[in-house]
Amino acid sequence: MTDLPLVGFIGLSAALLAIGLFGILTRRNFILLLIAIEIAMNATILNFVYFAAYTGGTAGLTGQSIAVVLVGFAATEVAVGLAIVLALNRLKGTINVAQATELKL
Amino acid sequence: MILEELAFLVLALVAIATAIAALLVRELVHTILWIAVFFVDLSAIYFLLEAPFLGVLQLGVYAGAVTVLLLFGIMVTRKRIFSREAATGIGAVPFALAVVTFIFIVSVVGEFPSSAGTIHAYSPADLSQNLFNVNGPWLLLLGLIMLGAVAGAIYLVREGRE
Repeated sequence: MTDLPLVGFIGLSAALLAIGLFGILTRRNFILLLIAIEIAMNATILNFVYFAAYTGGTAGLTGQSIAVVLVGFAATEVAVGLAIVLALNRLKGTINVAQATELKL
Repeated sequence: MILEELAFLVLALVAIATAIAALLVRELVHTILWIAVFFVDLSAIYFLLEAPFLGVLQLGVYAGAVTVLLLFGIMVTRKRIFSREAATGIGAVPFALAVVTFIFIVSVVGEFPSSAGTIHAYSPADLSQNLFNVNGPWLLLLGLIMLGAVAGAIYLVREGRE
């Protein structure tokens, strides 16, 4: 069997989460925002997969099951996000999140 | 042994590089191309971790469906598909926050044993057994949430709304 260092995986998913967080905070285009959220979500899923791979047994299988469910959640989230993009585009003619001020006081 | 470590190192570097490139390039279509490479790369990491079902799922759902959905979103929201974005600055505070998050998470690495032992491989049959028996409620919850999400998405984009 292979035996990869756990440190590398934690570093990778931490880096991906940081990149996603950075993207969420700086990008103004709604689609780029969705992509940044996807990067952060993938970091989470990767976390579940490698801890499942190192745990073994029923607990590991449960970890992989959670990863499968999370992939479904992420796909759902993109679908709803794109519906919001289309609604925002129809309402404002742009997909800049700075223009979405409907609920601001 | 050393071959797998080398493969992981290359895949991890490609993942980080493509994630950064996807967020920093100024043409939105190039962003989608980079993010597609990112998803395929993560799928390769799952195969390296001996999780073939998740690798295939990543290829199908992310590299396939999500990429096409995002491309569709770009296609219907702009007149000229290859137009450039206005440059957005890096931003000192978000960058610092991202670095702090990275350091904070990596600092807990010492809590885990450095050589965690072997990687366990699970057959898709075992995984689906667990997924539909033990974790059946979560799958049902996912189905209900997807149903609600589809209803909400249709409500958002329906005709005759001003």
